[in-house]
Amino acid sequence: MVDPLASLIVGFIIILFLIWVYLPRKGLLVRLKRSKKNTHRVLIEDSLKHLYNCEYNGINCTLNSVAGNLSISADEASKVVKKLEELELITSHERGISLTPEGRAYALRIIRTHRLWEKYLADETSVGEEDWHIAAEEIEHHITPAQADALAAQIGNPVFDPHGDPIPSAKGDLPVKKGNVLNTLKMGEFARIIHIEDEPHAIYSQLVAAGLYPGMQVRMMESSKDRIKFLANGEEVVLAPLFAKNVTITPIKNETTVKGKFKSLSSLSVGEKGIVLGISKRCRGQQRRRLMDLGVVPGTEIEAEMKSIGGDPVAYRIRGASIALRKNQADKIYLINE
Amino acid sequence: MNKTNGHNNEAILSLANNLRWEIGESFHDKLMESIFANATTIAQKSVTTPIEKPTFSFDRALDRIVTSPVLGFPMMFLILAVIFWLTIEGANVPSAMLASLLIDTFHPILKDFSLTIGLPWWLGGVLIDGAYLAGAWVISVMLPPMAIFFPLFTLLEDFGYLPRVAFNMDNLYRRAGAHGKQALTMAMGFGCNAAGVVAARVIDSPRERIIAIITNNFSLCNGRWPTQILIATIFIGGAVPAHLAGLVSAGAVVGIAVLGIVFSLVVSWALSRTVLKGEASAFSLELPPYRPPRVLRTLYTSLIDRTLIVLWRAVIFAIPAGIVIWLVSNITVGGESIAEIFINWVDPVSLIIGLNGVIILAYIIAIPANEIVIPTILMLTVLVTSMAGVGSGDGVMFELDSVTATEDILMAGGWTLLTGINLMLFSLLHNPCSTTIYTIYRETKSVKWTVVSTLLPVVMGIAVCFFLTQIWRLVVGN
Repeated sequence: MVDPLASLIVGFIIILFLIWVYLPRKGLLVRLKRSKKNTHRVLIEDSLKHLYNCEYNGINCTLNSVAGNLSISADEASKVVKKLEELELITSHERGISLTPEGRAYALRIIRTHRLWEKYLADETSVGEEDWHIAAEEIEHHITPAQADALAAQIGNPVFDPHGDPIPSAKGDLPVKKGNVLNTLKMGEFARIIHIEDEPHAIYSQLVAAGLYPGMQVRMMESSKDRIKFLANGEEVVLAPLFAKNVTITPIKNETTVKGKFKSLSSLSVGEKGIVLGISKRCRGQQRRRLMDLGVVPGTEIEAEMKSIGGDPVAYRIRGASIALRKNQADKIYLINE
Repeated sequence: MNKTNGHNNEAILSLANNLRWEIGESFHDKLMESIFANATTIAQKSVTTPIEKPTFSFDRALDRIVTSPVLGFPMMFLILAVIFWLTIEGANVPSAMLASLLIDTFHPILKDFSLTIGLPWWLGGVLIDGAYLAGAWVISVMLPPMAIFFPLFTLLEDFGYLPRVAFNMDNLYRRAGAHGKQALTMAMGFGCNAAGVVAARVIDSPRERIIAIITNNFSLCNGRWPTQILIATIFIGGAVPAHLAGLVSAGAVVGIAVLGIVFSLVVSWALSRTVLKGEASAFSLELPPYRPPRVLRTLYTSLIDRTLIVLWRAVIFAIPAGIVIWLVSNITVGGESIAEIFINWVDPVSLIIGLNGVIILAYIIAIPANEIVIPTILMLTVLVTSMAGVGSGDGVMFELDSVTATEDILMAGGWTLLTGINLMLFSLLHNPCSTTIYTIYRETKSVKWTVVSTLLPVVMGIAVCFFLTQIWRLVVGN
């Protein structure tokens, strides 16, 4: 007979070992994967991307900014830059570093893959918003241009990523930068968010947490050097100016502006009716198509019909059919506020 | 000429690309919205609707009861309990009739016939004791309960009650990362896991559907209820005073079923947060109006689509398994049958997880149907212990009407209370039967998910039995 205590201990050790290997985020497997990440090629591609972003935004790039962006030492950064020069992807001069046409094309290929992958994750999977950028940072180094083209074709050749960034075409075309940072909006003016910068991650996750997304309508309430207060889809949001700089807007012209607070479908009590104004941009991909197929489009009348025992989901009468929706979906359907 | 054309094409394409950036990303939605808006305006102008009758007043009244916090859940449990009671009670008589016809009457007749025409004993064994008996067994134990359970379940679905159950249960399943309709596939799994897996088609979101398929095996299916009841009566009922025996053993069986539900929720939760985290997911649940069920159509579809297809698959798998069961008990190597050699070989390992070699072998060769696990265990135990006067010969599965006689065989096989409890747990947590595995493959078309759904429960079962056994031996002794 095997000693029960000994085998119990062995059993626990095996379980602990498996947890140690497979733990998400901190496990051995994940760490092994991560340590492989900083290979030579990844550093080269990431620095090209950084240099291209500087160029696109009209900023001068330096050795230090490369080091900072890639979180490597200045010493390593100089090695990478030297390597890039050898490959004739960049030229350095007294004002800083700039890309050669080959370098620019290379950078655009990586950016295209990155943004396509973000769009794919947003529309076709249920990966959380805060993980898109991180996942794309990894995958962009492993997909060939041909695979990227196939992916683009599969998801309908999108031209914008979910953050509102334009996706370079297969030939490397990109439109000129549009819009201004949120800070420039004057008091009382209306605008639409066209882009939310996804780097650095800390600021991006704050902006996501505040509920901001491209396509949202904003109206400036107060803009000072300490804080920026504005209405986003009718809800009041306060940001530090540093954070607001990561939000790009374009002024709205000739469009009906939405006055006051938005009302979401989930705010209806049983028996109440409302007219759909639109579906939030945060509701994407399959879920969005499903709602539209059911007839949730502007102008549709919806009545809250009954609650389930737990209060969530709630059944709504939409175009003659009873459809149960969960609260987090009904939150993303806006109604006209009468 | 061609060259200039090519040039023009390029220019047009790049212009188009630029325009796509100009019009922004919500263009597709805008287009679709305007089409819908247009359609609505046209419909409003040209379609006249008859004066609204108060049609859904009955529906609303019924819905108010069904979704009421006080009556909703008790009503659901009552309805499901009645269905299970009808299935188990109602299946007893036809099952016994089929068994007496196919096993007690036809089997000896076929045996005699094979002797008369001078069939070699081994051929008769393989064909009649192996293939025929396994097929007949599966039919007689599976057909009646399924033929009762599926039509009843489908009638409820047709009436419109089941979508309301999903509606009420969704709150719980949402927290587990699953779809409310999984409550229905799970309930269907209590009848038959293969049917439960097929029923997962009603879940239209890919991620939630795979979760429902993988966790369906945690519903104690119809083939496992009799095993649970028998073992609980012998070992758990036997361990408590006689006047409590019935209550305690029934409680143990229900406890195992509830444990299965808990496992299905916990595993759903874990799957949706790990391996299935990124799969596409969408939710919507239509609540159709109540309507009188179409009884004949329901009977026809549930008998043809569910019962017969599942039964057919089970028989197809049972026949080769019956042959294997007969062969391993009858082919001898050096004076011992293959079965005995295997059992002696795995016995030490299986004792560590509180089972024994006979149980492990029975679960491997009786993979086509959980219904034939106990007959196989009994036959193998008699074979290994060389008991005289019981059973019908090597490789011929049998069952006994008397619980005490069954108990005697199992005790002779060295079973203890711990073995009994572990068998109940392992019966809940082991690989699905081959019919279900095949059905999972047909439904998912994915080897990966088929392997996951097959191995996940068996690994969990081994782990649960292992830890329980060690702790039991530390606390209670042997």
